[in-house]
Amino acid sequence: MVPLSDLLIWSLAGVIFGSLISWIPGFHIFNIMALLVAVFGVGELMPVQAFPFFAIGAIVAYAYVSAISSVYFSVADESAVFLLFPTQRYLLLGRGHEAVLLYLIGAVAGTLFLVLGALFIFPRVLPPIYQATSPYITYFLVAIVVFMFMSEWPKEGDRGRTPGERLWLAWRQILGGILVFFLSGLLGFIVMNTNLLPTTSAYTRLTPMFIGFFGMSWVLLNILSNPPMLEQVPDDRVESSLYNTLKASFGGALGGTIAAVYPIITGGMGALVAGHMTSQRGDDAFIISQGVNRVIYYVGAFTLLFLPQLRLTRGAAAWLVSSIYTPKSYAEYLAAIGVILLSAGISFLFTYYLSRFIANSFNVVHIKKLSYVVAVTLVVISYLLTGPMGLAVLFVSTAIGLMAAAFNTRRSYCLGGLILPVLISMTGHTGYFMHLLGLG
Amino acid sequence: MRGFTHYISGLAAATFFGALVGDLRLGILIPVIAAAAAYFPDFVDFKFGKFLARRDYEIDPAPWDEKKHYAPKLVKVSELSEKNRYQFFAIEGMVEEILARGSGKVSYKVLREDGGEETVTETYNSIVFTLNDGTGKITVEAFGDDYEFFEEEFGRIEGGKRLLVFGYVDLEEDGSLKLVVSDAPHPQGIAETIARAIEEAYREGERIVKIHNIRLPGDVYRRFWVHPDPPKREVRVEMGPIVTPGGVAIGGDVPEYRKYGVAKVSVPFIKTYPKPTRIDSFSGPEIAFRRAEFKGKTVVKDRFLPWHHGFSHSLTMGMIIGLVVFAFFRLIGYEHATELALASMIGQWLHVFEDQLGFMGSNLLPPLTKDVVPGFKLGESGSGLTNFSTAWLMIAFMIWNFNRFTDPRPIPISDAKLLLLLAWPSVIGFGIAIAKSFRLRKEISELMDYYTNLEAFEEMEEVGGI
Repeated sequence: MVPLSDLLIWSLAGVIFGSLISWIPGFHIFNIMALLVAVFGVGELMPVQAFPFFAIGAIVAYAYVSAISSVYFSVADESAVFLLFPTQRYLLLGRGHEAVLLYLIGAVAGTLFLVLGALFIFPRVLPPIYQATSPYITYFLVAIVVFMFMSEWPKEGDRGRTPGERLWLAWRQILGGILVFFLSGLLGFIVMNTNLLPTTSAYTRLTPMFIGFFGMSWVLLNILSNPPMLEQVPDDRVESSLYNTLKASFGGALGGTIAAVYPIITGGMGALVAGHMTSQRGDDAFIISQGVNRVIYYVGAFTLLFLPQLRLTRGAAAWLVSSIYTPKSYAEYLAAIGVILLSAGISFLFTYYLSRFIANSFNVVHIKKLSYVVAVTLVVISYLLTGPMGLAVLFVSTAIGLMAAAFNTRRSYCLGGLILPVLISMTGHTGYFMHLLGLG
Repeated sequence: MRGFTHYISGLAAATFFGALVGDLRLGILIPVIAAAAAYFPDFVDFKFGKFLARRDYEIDPAPWDEKKHYAPKLVKVSELSEKNRYQFFAIEGMVEEILARGSGKVSYKVLREDGGEETVTETYNSIVFTLNDGTGKITVEAFGDDYEFFEEEFGRIEGGKRLLVFGYVDLEEDGSLKLVVSDAPHPQGIAETIARAIEEAYREGERIVKIHNIRLPGDVYRRFWVHPDPPKREVRVEMGPIVTPGGVAIGGDVPEYRKYGVAKVSVPFIKTYPKPTRIDSFSGPEIAFRRAEFKGKTVVKDRFLPWHHGFSHSLTMGMIIGLVVFAFFRLIGYEHATELALASMIGQWLHVFEDQLGFMGSNLLPPLTKDVVPGFKLGESGSGLTNFSTAWLMIAFMIWNFNRFTDPRPIPISDAKLLLLLAWPSVIGFGIAIAKSFRLRKEISELMDYYTNLEAFEEMEEVGGI
């Protein structure tokens, strides 16, 4: 283990690095870290043993600071998308800062859950539960996917003139979701199983696809919808109740834990499951639970890399770090928990003051202009990581991401890009599908 | 219960069969059928039944603009008729003539918290003018708080000015149409239609009413409450604030003078759930009003979402699902078709049982049973406590079964001890839910006793009504 002073320095460097890039819309800490490693390497810039602590600082910062981009820089005019996220509604009502504060409440609750869990529960409970359930991960995964399809709530159909028209309007949206899932899956299957992208991009071959699904498509929606930049109220005031906060925190922690522990199950899928289990309702509760969920999903998943009895590699950052150095001792596990607390404190303050600053000067730079800059940056990142074919993948995945918005379905259907090829692989059918697609 | 609670019950049901758990361990994922079977009743009702169900009355207080999918719909004057009374629309046109401008006093009745009425008198400013949109002209009236907003938005109204006016359609004393400036429909139209449906149900047997919600720009909704009040023999509708889909009120309360709609009902009716029906985001409800016998008297009873909890939610359907699953999987040669069929049937039965814990109840064994068996009223379908307790219990069962059917056992403790360690949160949750349900059950019981002795029923008997 590196000396404590070095550990602190590199952790702080991680927090600062994460904070500086995580507020930019479309940027994801995993992509940027991969870019950093690809361009600069690790061993020369920092000791390899320090890299996990740098990463944990950056990931904590991302879990906190990304609230800024999701609240302030992903607005869309209501004519462009049917259903707005709660954070977008808060922004359109001039209450963006309140949404950030609600998120921060959740993030702090998530940090406390995580730290207490990591100290007292995870080491004792997780290993046996994981051992008993891990052979059935495919069952859970396919069950969640089937539930996503079966439970899609038809947002249209009520006002059709005839029963037939009502049924068609409802099913148009459901079928659109299924189409998005399978198109994403097809793209993911090709990206994962062919040499479409260069072998030098082994760790980042999914990056352009995910940038397209969730980053670029969102940024393009910002540009197309040209949303109004409404004056924001920077008051430190939130409307919620203790009951809602506790219920949302519990639900968020549950969803985040499921997503952190089990592979392929993402934060959104975990939130879907936990939201149903705890019957959550209310925008305030939703935003709080998102804060809890994202901290536990991102940071918790990465922390499992440090857990000596389990040492699970969950998430792109954990795979990236473990390819360079895997922490081994209980001392490193405890140090990681300390770094989480320290990083959370710094990230909290950074997010809070940045939110106040942005709320006060929200309409200085129009989101459309910012979105152009981000779009170009995302293209550059994709190119640097995966070359010209990466740009082709980016183009296709962006189109699929936009299709989800056009069909008015869950954007999480784009996770088919990850889930479908993994399911095919887990059930041993990769060769069959390669043959079916004429790829091998 | 929420959909996932049912679904996870099906997932858990499959794990009680060692053969199916063995298949799962081998990567054979067919047992997920049991979870789909457990969710099947809601899938059928909400993806098909809801859209195919009959609607005798369709109440749409604020029709959508067909392109934007929110209200108010931009209409031409020539498209409006008496049928649109109280509905919320937008009209774009030119001010043709100012008919009146001034101030006065207006009196209106408001409902107090205790349900009593109170007459309020206020001074107001107003303007009345004609608006011509090229297809015809209509009188536009703005007064009170709406006048203040109107003037703020458009400045002083003069002839020749182009305006986009929002408001609800009403009738002048001479029967001609007018548009009353407002930011919501008038609730009177909703109340009158429901009252008419109840009266018709009393005569004809059944009327199903679909009430649409009110979606406004920005993905927000105007909340309103429908409260059929049997003791007073009236239907009350209250227009509420603007809320987000998550239910957070963001202001936009309507003025008192157009907040309430009250319509008298001339026949006896009872309401089976003590709270008013709230309508805001997602979609509006369907309510069936059915003639029924209650304590020897003919009344009209309400049933929320009449297409829900029918045959799909019966034990009979569970048996059919089991047979179909067995036949299909036996046909395709699945070795454990019998276990899968049993798991699917049990999953669907668990759904029926879990819903029976709530209010609506189900027709449990059609065709042997003809009507719904009332629920146990342990908690509302959206109750976080009962949903979590049930879902957690199912997770506990899954872990327990996975452990039981694995050799050597990953968690090397006795079955009883492990189940106890896993299931205690559910035991506590159910305990709290049962304790809380006593109060609500008492409230409903008192309401039903009250109906039994309702003076209004007796008065009707005296005049030969019942």
